[in-house]
Amino acid sequence: MTTLPPPDPVTLGRRNEIARALRDIVPDGVIGDEATLTAFDCDALTAYRQRPLLCVLPENAEQISTVLAYAHRENVRIVPRGAGTSLSGGALPLADSILLGMSRMSRILELDYENRCAVVQPGVTNASVTRAVQARGFYYAPDPSSQIACTIGGNVAENSGGIHCLKYGLTTQNLMGVELVLMNGERLRLGGKHAGDGGLDLLSVVCGSEGMLGVVTEATLRILPRPPVTRTLLIAFDTVRAAGETVAAIIAAGIIPAALEFMDRRCIEAVEAFCAPHYPVGAEAILIGEIDGMPAEVADDARRITEIASSCGAVSTRDCVDEAERVRVWSGRKAAFGAMGRLEPDMLCMDGTIPRKALPDVLDRISELSEHYGLVCCNVFHAGDGNLHPLIVFDCMKPGALERAEAFGADILKLCVAKGGVLTGEHGVGVEKKALMGEMFSDIDLAQQERLKCAFDGQGLLNPGKVFPTLHACVELGRMHVQGGRLPFANLPRM
Amino acid sequence: MVTISPTNEAEIAEAVREAADKGTCFEIVSGRTKREFGRPVSADTILDVSALSGIVKYEPEELVLTARAGTPIAMIESALAEKKQMLGFEPADWGPLFQAGTGRATLGGTVATNACGARRVKAGAVRDHVIGCRFVNGKGEAIKAGGHVIKNVTGFDLSRLMCGAFGTLGVLTEITVRVTPQPERVAAVEIDCGPETGLNLMREAARLPLDASGLSYVLSDNGGTALIRVEGTNAAVAQKLAELQKQFANHETKVQDEGTTQKSFRAVSGASDFLEIATDIWRLCVPPANAYDALTACGIALGKFWYADWAGGLLWLGLPGDEKTAKCLREVTARFGGHATLMRASSQARERLAVFEPETPARAEITRSVKAAFDPKRVLNPARMFKDI
Repeated sequence: MTTLPPPDPVTLGRRNEIARALRDIVPDGVIGDEATLTAFDCDALTAYRQRPLLCVLPENAEQISTVLAYAHRENVRIVPRGAGTSLSGGALPLADSILLGMSRMSRILELDYENRCAVVQPGVTNASVTRAVQARGFYYAPDPSSQIACTIGGNVAENSGGIHCLKYGLTTQNLMGVELVLMNGERLRLGGKHAGDGGLDLLSVVCGSEGMLGVVTEATLRILPRPPVTRTLLIAFDTVRAAGETVAAIIAAGIIPAALEFMDRRCIEAVEAFCAPHYPVGAEAILIGEIDGMPAEVADDARRITEIASSCGAVSTRDCVDEAERVRVWSGRKAAFGAMGRLEPDMLCMDGTIPRKALPDVLDRISELSEHYGLVCCNVFHAGDGNLHPLIVFDCMKPGALERAEAFGADILKLCVAKGGVLTGEHGVGVEKKALMGEMFSDIDLAQQERLKCAFDGQGLLNPGKVFPTLHACVELGRMHVQGGRLPFANLPRM
Repeated sequence: MVTISPTNEAEIAEAVREAADKGTCFEIVSGRTKREFGRPVSADTILDVSALSGIVKYEPEELVLTARAGTPIAMIESALAEKKQMLGFEPADWGPLFQAGTGRATLGGTVATNACGARRVKAGAVRDHVIGCRFVNGKGEAIKAGGHVIKNVTGFDLSRLMCGAFGTLGVLTEITVRVTPQPERVAAVEIDCGPETGLNLMREAARLPLDASGLSYVLSDNGGTALIRVEGTNAAVAQKLAELQKQFANHETKVQDEGTTQKSFRAVSGASDFLEIATDIWRLCVPPANAYDALTACGIALGKFWYADWAGGLLWLGLPGDEKTAKCLREVTARFGGHATLMRASSQARERLAVFEPETPARAEITRSVKAAFDPKRVLNPARMFKDI
């Protein structure tokens, strides 16, 4: 279980006064009644819930700047929220926080094909960017599975990925610029329609900062011309190891597929029962490979991937030539979460990344852990970039089930780190994984990251209680005296 | 000036700790090819990290390579070439621009100066390929950032922040990059045309789904030439070339073979056209669609000493490092967005003029705070980027 910073009783007592001040700034956009506030008490990590003090829905950057400057002056915490689809609790409110909802800032401001970019407000959904440019043959590459709902502001905060990252990058590779409001209300432009920036590359660290450095009020996104041909291969294996070897061999052959997805038997069965995508019956694992590009290149790669798979022991390879079949194959992959959700009422979706070569070992160990904890876990996996999504299903109402599921999840993530990987590939640390940060980083590493946070938000008011295992006051970090590489607080207990 | 040459990260950390205690500072060097890039650093001691050299780990099937900061790029490229892989950002060798010879640039210096070449238009800058690093901050603490896998969002992305920071935030000691398979074939179409047409052609090519890996416009004796580079399997390149020739049928197109293409783009990335000309150099980044306006605003469209890369997003300008030029270029960036960098000039000029685009007060304050978060006593490359950081 995770803990959040304790609410400030003074702020709690000033609720009415704060509501009045916010109404002066955003007259028609302040939510104070408890029933409505309950709608904002969690994001997609539903195991954690907390009603915010108040919620404000600004309409423009000016209002955001005024709200932040007010909160800064009055020492009130702010939690920004896009669509609330975070799987790591990135938008979990604090009891004494103003929840800053970006839902009303949902306009696409400019489509600039000459400079190959789109300028959008933060509340625009990921999918609507592609929708806006597809008639001209363009698209926006990052495609997190929540893309119909999740917003660009949230994508920037979390550096969201999707299934096409290996070839097209995460959000950070497709983000050209932002307008940012700092906690003190200052507005700042980083990047833009031009390449890079003159000074420090602050954009690169704002992207993925989980809403802790500033509030994005506008984003300039790179759009790409849609490749002329896309083809999908469905490859079945009777061992997990053969599937893993195929992935490694494809990459080693110099092929970068647009997507390369892995599903294990348990997941295949759940999906088949759920929406019947006609996956090969009895397979221990399947790979869904997608290749895009010029017709000749796609044909070459499809042939080479088929040959590689069969030399690694694939049982069958289906080349989805017609669009309907292609869509059906992907529908199964995209329904994986929903299908698993039918097995038990609750689910934890883990998100570690591992070196691809560790895949068979990690999957073996996960199934041992599954037995140990007595919980079902199935695996979907962005195999191309090594990003695992073990789905642990459980029933929250059964005593101890949540704790067991969390312990299971933590063991999986520790395993990922031990195998040379990381805690999170695309979902973010949030509140979910902050207690595990010590698995990857020393106290000194974390203190350096926290000092960066302090450079942007010296009072620690913006989305506090996320990412870092212990909450330090900036002044404490500044005064930390290091002797022989040891921090004075190294033995403090962790949450 | 005294030079110290630590052989490992612990020695660097100790040296920096000592300097922070004594209130002294360092100029960080490695291959010494780009010492003249940035504001002059007046340091007490040179911290030479070139002894931290060698590839630590290279796993071709994981597309990941880790090397110590002082490892020559040439060494990394030859290790990658053996496995038919490469650095996707096309490291630019700017050594010759500063009379520092060719092939001496190191990974650390390349990352610190964000020295990427023509392929940026397709594959992004150095920071898009750096996935982790180790560095020593200004307090002498050894810090790990990022990881060894391509997809990672664990904690703040400090390793990307190190890219292009010119060593002002930390001494890089080890860097992990993602690597890229070499394409089977690379070729380019060249089209002779005037500057305005050439700049338009490049953007038109950028809108085609050909994933062009180089879009440059260079001046030549008989005017200028747009170069459109494509890559992929043999069959794909043939199709892409055919598509380009069809698309630009109203121009005379010529296909460059692999060798010529490589030579052309090495020259573009390394700015070697400027080698023979003893001139100061500016790099101007603007939105590509404003490239021609930017040129004419400074009255240089018809001059000789410029060329364009990144579909017009980068303009290399052989213009003097003086107040008048600085003023003109910064009016351009104020008008269109972007930034102008004084890439080569006398140390007096680099001391006097803003080498990097001057920042707005709000941004300058953040830059100072970020510097203080990493190097509060300004031990590392003081004033290399901005006077007060």
